[in-house]
Amino acid sequence: MALFDRYQTDGFYDEMFQPDGQPRPHYRRLYQRIRAMSGEDFRRRCQLADLTLVNQGITFAVYGNEEGVEKAFPFDLIPRIIPAEEWDHIELGLKQRLVALNLFLYDVYHDQKILNDGVVPRELVLGAANYRREFQGADPPHGIYVHICGSDLIRDGEGVLRVLEDNLRTPSGVSYVLENRIILTRVMPQLFRDMSVKPVDHYPVALLKNLRALAPAHCAGSEPTIGLLTPGVYNSAYFEHSFLAQQLGIQLVEGRDLFVDDNQVFMKTTRGPQRLDVIYRRVDDDFLDPMVFRQDSVLGVPGLINAYRAGNVALANSIGTGVADDKVIYAYVPRIIKYYLGEEAIIPNVDTFLAWQPSDYSYIMNNLDKLVIKAANESGGYGMLIGPQSTRAEQAEFADKIRANPRNYIAQPLIALSRSPAMIGDNFEGRHVDLRPYILYGVDDITIIPGGLTRVALRKGSYVVNSSQGGGSKDTWVLPGEGYAGNAGAMQKADEIMSALSLFQHQRQEQSEFGSISTQMGVQ
Amino acid sequence: MLCRDADSCFWIGRYVERVEATARMVDVHYHAALESPIPPGVNTVEDADLEPIRWQSLLAISGSDEDFYKRYTSENDRDVLHFFSFDTLNPNSILSTWKLARDNARSIREQIASEMWESLNATYLSLKGMDADQVLAASPHEFFNSVKNSSHLLQGILNRTMLMGEARDWLDAGRFLERACQTARLLDVKYHDLLPVQADTDTFARTAGASAYGVGGAIDAHGWMAVLKSVSALEMYRKTHRDGIKPANVVDFLVLCPSFPASVKHGIGRVEGCLKRIRDGAGGKTGTEAERLIGRLVADLTYTRPDEIIEAGLHEFLENVQERCDSIGSAIHRSYLSY
Repeated sequence: MALFDRYQTDGFYDEMFQPDGQPRPHYRRLYQRIRAMSGEDFRRRCQLADLTLVNQGITFAVYGNEEGVEKAFPFDLIPRIIPAEEWDHIELGLKQRLVALNLFLYDVYHDQKILNDGVVPRELVLGAANYRREFQGADPPHGIYVHICGSDLIRDGEGVLRVLEDNLRTPSGVSYVLENRIILTRVMPQLFRDMSVKPVDHYPVALLKNLRALAPAHCAGSEPTIGLLTPGVYNSAYFEHSFLAQQLGIQLVEGRDLFVDDNQVFMKTTRGPQRLDVIYRRVDDDFLDPMVFRQDSVLGVPGLINAYRAGNVALANSIGTGVADDKVIYAYVPRIIKYYLGEEAIIPNVDTFLAWQPSDYSYIMNNLDKLVIKAANESGGYGMLIGPQSTRAEQAEFADKIRANPRNYIAQPLIALSRSPAMIGDNFEGRHVDLRPYILYGVDDITIIPGGLTRVALRKGSYVVNSSQGGGSKDTWVLPGEGYAGNAGAMQKADEIMSALSLFQHQRQEQSEFGSISTQMGVQ
Repeated sequence: MLCRDADSCFWIGRYVERVEATARMVDVHYHAALESPIPPGVNTVEDADLEPIRWQSLLAISGSDEDFYKRYTSENDRDVLHFFSFDTLNPNSILSTWKLARDNARSIREQIASEMWESLNATYLSLKGMDADQVLAASPHEFFNSVKNSSHLLQGILNRTMLMGEARDWLDAGRFLERACQTARLLDVKYHDLLPVQADTDTFARTAGASAYGVGGAIDAHGWMAVLKSVSALEMYRKTHRDGIKPANVVDFLVLCPSFPASVKHGIGRVEGCLKRIRDGAGGKTGTEAERLIGRLVADLTYTRPDEIIEAGLHEFLENVQERCDSIGSAIHRSYLSY
């Protein structure tokens, strides 16, 4: 029996198959090539891929699990395909969103026009857990707050792509995009032949270019020393930190390797202290500097924030970006886009109910068994309730939580995430997937590697794709269809967004020439 | 280079070399004991009764007898092999030590060639999947050989892939310091082992050749050969010393010979070279305590004759060398790796 013969879409939107069981046009060649393989051959290649992952130590750490701390992130070999026409649309939407969110952050930390105009309620922004009062008025280099963004997209039951959440602090997972591609080309080279899969391996180049462009003034054209700040080997994303440092050719540092003297950051090297100019930090705001944020942090560097304020070191991402990926603020993103860019959101949100609004509150409380409840600032699939899959006790527990702190909770309808075939045991079965593209906001342009990370919930029926909750990943292909010659409309639109951006940057530069900003950078 | 990264490189070098030394020691001891005559006072030839005797001295010379007897009751092949190879409670077992090297490598993956990490990781995973029963059922020699080869493979990858730069020098410095220590230790303990009764230097000279069991006797030559074999030195020794196995020559070869890769002199000389290159880079530290201690030890090893060592007491000499290696290790830490 050939592969896929027993495959069922079970009424879900399937990325690969139409409701009539035929492969979608952009999947047709892949379908034929996989069908040409025997089940035994396919499984053998799966084992080969697993072995590569384990031998290379491509693993993540699971918290609260003493034994076997490192786990390989399961890699499902059937690629997820996005047609190039759709990708152009996604890319455009992501650019629009990130430009607007950066404008929002700049505004929130400066003039707060959007709050004065009542578009986003002031108390929501200033009361957000990740709003950094200490950073009000401070000026990140080139006015950029979010250099690296990972937004999570899902496809609903009607096939419409929506943004589920934005990750504007320290999004992770891009290393799996790069490694998945390398491994798949090794274990199933025949799938790639004559497909023109858009490459992804320029990500480290683009990121490095952006980081170099952040070099503080004292570098004066000479090569800046760049470091990636990691919490250390016990962090769940440590593999990625180490991988990216290696790919970028930059120094991987921990807080204990650094010290600040006279507002300058130094690394302890075997030849004495060496100055560090740019830091790609993968440590959260809270832990970055015990003198400013959490005093019990041993991961940070005392004095780092003042060095940043003084313009002696650059940080990517900047401080306080979490205010814009707060799940409550998320609900306002379409309005934020409209406010700054005068446009409708290209990629829609998921409908969201806010517990702090009295009208939404009672709806949420009466429908806990139907909605997905999320805490405003949790990630990794923690702190959420999936109503239809929950018990009465769990619902009661969340009701108490929401009652105690309505500001901290949102609710969304349960979206029937699209599915994609995954190898489960000896057969292909449909599993829910999402998509996390990675967006790099540089001084001159925005780079998005085609595709991104497709995460797949490998547990039957599960909607939670996070690695900490039994999720795996897939290689993601952006494939030009027949006769595809680029989407001219999308290109023109992208140009418009970028020119809105450069206009903003130009205005901001003029402003700083009058010196209104540097005076506000004093030590608090 | 970051102090923390240099420290990890240094210890990867030391741990991997330590694993190799353990594998060599257990391998040679196991096989030498299989061939040796039944010691005086033992009347039975039953294997079961000989097993403990074979292992007692190894446990003693490796300094792990106390640890062993805490958790095991008898010195049978299986338990001893498990103890030295796979026992995660023994910090010096092959698996424990390799894991330390691998964990250090994991924290500096971006500093070393990815092939090095993969090789360290693959060996770790394969060691983790083995046990003493499997090894005994197959071939202990094969096992120890494969461990030794893993160390050599890593060194080969390092030579082939790593930049001629600081990371490589720290890996080498750790490796050669550990090797010098291990050779001195092995020679010291084996020398004790060879002279179970007459351990002082006076009798060493007087009893030479007096009996099969005395120094210079058939058993003695067998023992010295085991020493040479355990550091893969027997064939090279024969090339340089054609007049048979004599203690002074063995000491000369394993301690003072500058060109034999496992000799103390060679090891310390290589550490000196590494630190010199690290210093010669821009802004390197000069005149450190570590360099001073190494320079002095190199001088002593260069201008001492083997007969002087034996006259003054081989044990005392080797003990002194081991202490100085320890001091050099601590001085390297103070001078370069933690400030």
